[in-house]
Amino acid sequence: MTLTEQLLISRGELENKLRNMLGKPIFLIEMDGFALPCGCSGATINTRGLQVDDLEVFEEYILKYLTDTAQSLGIDPSFVFARLIPGTSEIASLNLRMLCNHCYMDFARGSGKQPRPDIYILRFNRK
Amino acid sequence: MKLYVPHVGHLEGLEMLLAGSGNIYGVYMAGSPEYIGTGRTNLSAPKLEDIAVQTEYAHEKGVKLEIVLNSSCMGGQHLTPEGYRSIDWYFNRLNDIGIDSITVADPYLVEMLARDYDMEVVVSVLSFVDSPQKAEFYEDLGADTIVIDSAINRHFDKLEAIKESVSCELKLLVNEGCLYQCPFRYAHFNFFSHANGPGPKPNVTDDYYYYKCLSLRIQNPELIIKSPWIRPEDLKEYKHITDIFKIGGRTHFVNWTLNVVNAYANESYDGNLMDLLDCPKDLMDLFYIPNKELDGALAQWKQCEKVCKRCGYCKRLTEKITQVYSTEGTGQVLKPLHTMGKQQ
Repeated sequence: MTLTEQLLISRGELENKLRNMLGKPIFLIEMDGFALPCGCSGATINTRGLQVDDLEVFEEYILKYLTDTAQSLGIDPSFVFARLIPGTSEIASLNLRMLCNHCYMDFARGSGKQPRPDIYILRFNRK
Repeated sequence: MKLYVPHVGHLEGLEMLLAGSGNIYGVYMAGSPEYIGTGRTNLSAPKLEDIAVQTEYAHEKGVKLEIVLNSSCMGGQHLTPEGYRSIDWYFNRLNDIGIDSITVADPYLVEMLARDYDMEVVVSVLSFVDSPQKAEFYEDLGADTIVIDSAINRHFDKLEAIKESVSCELKLLVNEGCLYQCPFRYAHFNFFSHANGPGPKPNVTDDYYYYKCLSLRIQNPELIIKSPWIRPEDLKEYKHITDIFKIGGRTHFVNWTLNVVNAYANESYDGNLMDLLDCPKDLMDLFYIPNKELDGALAQWKQCEKVCKRCGYCKRLTEKITQVYSTEGTGQVLKPLHTMGKQQ
């Protein structure tokens, strides 16, 4: 199976799980695999209709679904987070990221769920 | 019927568009954002030479060409001596080229255009003309055509009052899928006007208004039904108001535009209503709303008092006809809206 075929399947599966759990037609508008010059890699899932309340109430399940998605894509993310529109209830994307050493240090310095107004951490594996 | 059709802004696009349909009365496109921006996203910023070539081509085909400069906010720059000189220079060049009309949203530009140039002055939908008083104001200022605020597309009393009050041309935007009485409308168009204007341009990662707009509809799909679009089949109900209709969608592929032109020219469309709506186009891949099943809805909306809590018609209609695209493997299937959240 090619990478893009797997992305198509994983996008649909995650969307279906979120819809079944939340009872509304959550829309995963795009799922991308990425590789950055610094050495980070992973997947970004742009969401529409998913809100911070959903995340807070169903965090355990959403993290499990994201872990399943990561596994299906062959990603072992050390950092799983949602990117928010600061000051609002809107979630712009869900992110599965294998951090490089440099970026690890940037995030390791912070603490709590929201080290920045636009980031909500679901999982961060400390070394 | 006179159909004004969106054009992405380059000659190849115009050639494809006009080759694809004989039902286009006029095309409209943005100008150069260096002078005045527009209230919507654009795919191109044609220079004066490009506009000249395209105007000539459109006229050869018997089609009118309109330039849209409908920024809803210019930060006061147009009121400065430098701003005035720059805009005056640009209007003069467009005048020399021989474009047919200019659409603007700011009353100052309406008056300026009406006094000093030969081009027809079109008052933008972003001037929010929703009453006979506002229509009279713009007509007195020199408007040749007013694009009526689409928020009142289903308020026939107001449409008829405007028609009765002015003698200028009226134009209706038929396929804008914006929220009815959208609370983001002013802020969003002002944001677009700066993002698509002379600058300084805001460096924005996420368009809050757009995300929120989509989010609200995903939570409440009935908001799509309540949007004041006009179905192709219902154009006949508006012909006592006007025979000039504008199709929105400057950022779409020509193929999309031609499909919408054909639907409105034929006054019929057997497919997904979402195929026709300019905005929010992302939801075209989420919802399937069979257009033909909306037959007769306008009769209800004509006598609707717009108190949704008391009525519930749009909510019931949405639940009855709306389907959601879901993924199975790499393919798509349609599921009724009411099955969301029920394990299959």
